[in-house]
Amino acid sequence: MFVQSLAGQDTLRTYGPRIGIDLARFAYIFANPSEIGTEFSVDVEIYKNIFPVFEMGYSYISESEDLFDYASSGAYARAGIDYNLLPVKDRSVHHSLFLGFRYGVSIFNHHAENVLIPNGYWGDFVLDSYENSLTANWLELVGGIKAEIVSNFFLGWSLRYKILLNPEMDPLVTPQMIPGYGSGAADRGFGFSYSILYKIPLFKR
Amino acid sequence: MKIRSIPLFFLLLLNSCTTLDICDDYSQSELVARFKTIEEGVVNDTIISGVTMFGIRDGRPDSLIYDSVSLSRVVLPLDSHHDYSRFILDINEQTDTLRINHTTEFYMISYTCGFAAMFTIENFHYSKTMIDTIERINSVIDAELEQNEEHLWIYF
Repeated sequence: MFVQSLAGQDTLRTYGPRIGIDLARFAYIFANPSEIGTEFSVDVEIYKNIFPVFEMGYSYISESEDLFDYASSGAYARAGIDYNLLPVKDRSVHHSLFLGFRYGVSIFNHHAENVLIPNGYWGDFVLDSYENSLTANWLELVGGIKAEIVSNFFLGWSLRYKILLNPEMDPLVTPQMIPGYGSGAADRGFGFSYSILYKIPLFKR
Repeated sequence: MKIRSIPLFFLLLLNSCTTLDICDDYSQSELVARFKTIEEGVVNDTIISGVTMFGIRDGRPDSLIYDSVSLSRVVLPLDSHHDYSRFILDINEQTDTLRINHTTEFYMISYTCGFAAMFTIENFHYSKTMIDTIERINSVIDAELEQNEEHLWIYF
């Protein structure tokens, strides 16, 4: 018979993939320009305190400026690893305080329409449309917490520092919104997520 | 930690990130041509008096860009409707024509200032009544005109 010597070690710990949805993304609707999108995440503790993470989402913005209409939309995915810094005192407690990194890729399209180019001498010129399909790559440093509020349900937030690897992806028109990254005008940025997560308790040990 | 305060904090953060930049003026993409003389192999800037200049399109003269003035250089708007821009240079009733063939691309200056044309000079043709020769200094003309930026040197 296997006997545990430490207190709490007799309690079983559940393991399984954890699926999350980023609630902060819904607040982006109130940003200017309004951004519509969702983001899901999956992570699983494959080894003690080590959580490979996969995140994927979709974003869309559309705005009408004085001189042009602009839209940008596309999908993105990020892969990385979170490391839990919180020591496990009680095996039934699954809270985590983590640091991690991500590599992000977005495949998106941005376009401008009804572009007015003022020219006082030869007359204003109207460019019917400008369109470009792009791929963006970036890195993120992530820190945050995940707290188990009810058995297998977690609330978590994270702060992210983002480094865009190819800021010159479109030398003619800087993307106003790179899905999953933010404004293409800055090659460094911050991000925030606020997620609700569910861990599928596949097995216990 | 009060979880309820987090969305509020986030909204404040989001609001503070909204930038309000203002466009000072709608920039034009203009060609700068400086007047030069060459004497015994020495190139000098020169001021020409009585310069009248205007564009022509579809054979019709357009409004005057310069009207009988003394100048050391001319700043000429280029035509994004065509792959060429044509001008008449009139110096004291002596007339030259100048045709600049260019390609045109459009780019965004900023979200508040919008788009501008970026011209690349392919080649140019001119008559030689007053003009001796024209030299290309810089082929690319965009809306951000640097100080001392020049595209053509017109020798008399």
